[in-house]
Amino acid sequence: MNWIRMKYTRWFNISKDGLVKNNPVIIAVLGICSALAVTNKVENAIAMGIGVTFVIMASSMTVSLIRNFIPGKVRMVTYMVIISTFVILVQMFLEGFFPNIAKALGAYVGLIITNCIVMGRAEAFAVKNPVRYTVIDGFASGMGYTYVLVLIALVREVLAFGTILNVQVMPDTWPGWVVMAMAPGGFFVLGILIWIIRELSNNYDVAAQA
Amino acid sequence: MRSNIRIFIFIIILGLVTSALLIGADALTLDRIEANRQAELQSTILDAYGIDYTFGNISTVFIERVDVVTVDDYTFYVNQDTSAVSFVFEGSGLWGPIIGIISLEADFETILSITILQQQETPGLGGRVAERRYLDTFAGVKMVPVIVITRAGADGPNEADAITGATGTSTAFETILNDSYDAHRSAWLSVQNGG
Repeated sequence: MNWIRMKYTRWFNISKDGLVKNNPVIIAVLGICSALAVTNKVENAIAMGIGVTFVIMASSMTVSLIRNFIPGKVRMVTYMVIISTFVILVQMFLEGFFPNIAKALGAYVGLIITNCIVMGRAEAFAVKNPVRYTVIDGFASGMGYTYVLVLIALVREVLAFGTILNVQVMPDTWPGWVVMAMAPGGFFVLGILIWIIRELSNNYDVAAQA
Repeated sequence: MRSNIRIFIFIIILGLVTSALLIGADALTLDRIEANRQAELQSTILDAYGIDYTFGNISTVFIERVDVVTVDDYTFYVNQDTSAVSFVFEGSGLWGPIIGIISLEADFETILSITILQQQETPGLGGRVAERRYLDTFAGVKMVPVIVITRAGADGPNEADAITGATGTSTAFETILNDSYDAHRSAWLSVQNGG
């Protein structure tokens, strides 16, 4: 398949939506809580990204599978139950087979439940689309979340600890900005990142300007 | 009315299926999780005593070199060569439980090492309590009469430094250490006197 035709396929557009056009963190500004909390080290950001991606894909798939049976009135509760189930499964799996990763992530695995992106994709996409597209959508949104987290974590880890993935990159004399390891550092970096990207891509809220 | 019954049935089925999934996954991983916790505890104690082990033979080495003494509800792990004693301590931190292992020298007063197994303190602030670099400052500090975690700079034999910016966690940690030390001390002394 050549490039021109690929641009018109559905899966390409869904991926582009999740990764760039409607990036969950930068454009939709969802999942900010965890984007601030786990981005002080790159390894945490990667592990969190993979966990969230898996949960989005699995829960979107399930919601899409049973979308014709979910009664409209209780759909939110249904999403929550499905998402919680998968999060607990991930937690058990990590504790059973990868105890070191489970230890490093600590309470954050449980916090995937409260990640708005998971619920957002279930409500906005999975409940009205066939399974094969929800898998692509879940993966794209998850990866869109992951790379933004890693970008923020790169800046914060270098400034706060002088390391990347625990490998020293700054000279020994680097003082280490404590503020970057804490929540305010996350706010600064995330805010500046969103500003730069929206400025470059001319993505403004039109209603707000009027 | 019909739609209400439909919702009701749907919720019941959803609940049953998800519970079944979780119970199944729990049954599958329970043994492994328990084994991992055990291995973590044992390797931490071996580390504190400076005994060499490899990933595969943790429990063999542990059984050979460490005595497990149980008094009432308290469990002590005694190094057969040096008589150093370890026990698990537990208490409320600022945000959640703090669980760890403290190893004391044979006099049951001087800290050999402390390791945190579980904590939920603020990452980067109170979370530092679990970092090796911080815990190493406790080596050699005395638990008697009480350990004092001070912000003013530790200089007494029973003083340790607090964590900057984490007064809540530091105070909680001090209380946890003292409370569990007191509880374990009486149990330990009764073993010493009795046996």
